[in-house]
Amino acid sequence: MESIVSHEDWQTCFAQLGPALLLFARRWTNSQADAEDVVQEAFVRFWRREHSIKNRGLLYAAVRSAALDRLRREGRRVRREAAASVGSSDHCEPVFTTEDEGQQLLAAAVERLPNEQKEVVVLKIWNELTFAEIADVLEISQNTAASRYRYALNALKKILQPHE
Amino acid sequence: MNDFSELEAELTKLRPAPVSDDLARRIERAFAARDETPTAGVLPRPQRRANGWWSFALGLTGVAALLVIGLAFFDQTPVLERAVASAKAIPAQTAGFQPAGLTQVVYSGHDEGLVYPSDDSGAPRRRLRYETRQIVRWQNAQTGASVRVSYPVEQVVLTPVSFQ
Repeated sequence: MESIVSHEDWQTCFAQLGPALLLFARRWTNSQADAEDVVQEAFVRFWRREHSIKNRGLLYAAVRSAALDRLRREGRRVRREAAASVGSSDHCEPVFTTEDEGQQLLAAAVERLPNEQKEVVVLKIWNELTFAEIADVLEISQNTAASRYRYALNALKKILQPHE
Repeated sequence: MNDFSELEAELTKLRPAPVSDDLARRIERAFAARDETPTAGVLPRPQRRANGWWSFALGLTGVAALLVIGLAFFDQTPVLERAVASAKAIPAQTAGFQPAGLTQVVYSGHDEGLVYPSDDSGAPRRRLRYETRQIVRWQNAQTGASVRVSYPVEQVVLTPVSFQ
């Protein structure tokens, strides 16, 4: 297994994974700034333990853990705001860069997915984790992860159908 | 090919929002502070000592020793009363401190039987050996400070024996 401990290596890794990590962290945070705080805490914690870059599941688990810790620390008010923001992109900064109207519709459709489906899609599509890795990160079974992914894609097709 | 391959391809083209330069700088600063803090705001979990039983055993030994000393002390109570009654003179005043008390605790006494000293009388005597601890206390009347000195004393008493 490859162990990355040097300064350059963490920069390379972060350049590759940073945007997708932020997208994942946005599942539990109310803003891009909060998501960045979560990713910073989790990434630094992960790297200081000098985990292998190939063991990305642990990195995503660290992000999820940091995000949930943050929610617990900030109490009920923040949780309520985060819950209100999840599933509704009206008050959130854009989480995707879009090039045309088709991509804008697709990004909006992703944001409309239920949170539990959206996090599986985020891990699968933009973080390229396997269902086994997703199951580990989210502490669910592989079957559940695969089912949520399938439900999410079905939902996206339905959302997008009138526009196709 | 599954039914969702087209949709998955479209999703893959969608790019997450990029990471701000500020986040990368913050992470770099966090790594630079590595020597100052062991983790990113999370204290390291203290390692459990494998020899934790030693502390317990030492504590138990201490309690047992105190019990033995305590029992020996109570067994010698009559001797204690005699010994305290024969307390020595209190030492003279020293550097503003005045003698405030003298306590003599006898914690062991042995009757070593008859002995025949080589003096002129030639009469037999009973030899008694006492192990005691003397505690002398001085006090400064002006400052209220006190000094307490404790030291062990071994006394040998020869008592004349009369045969009738």
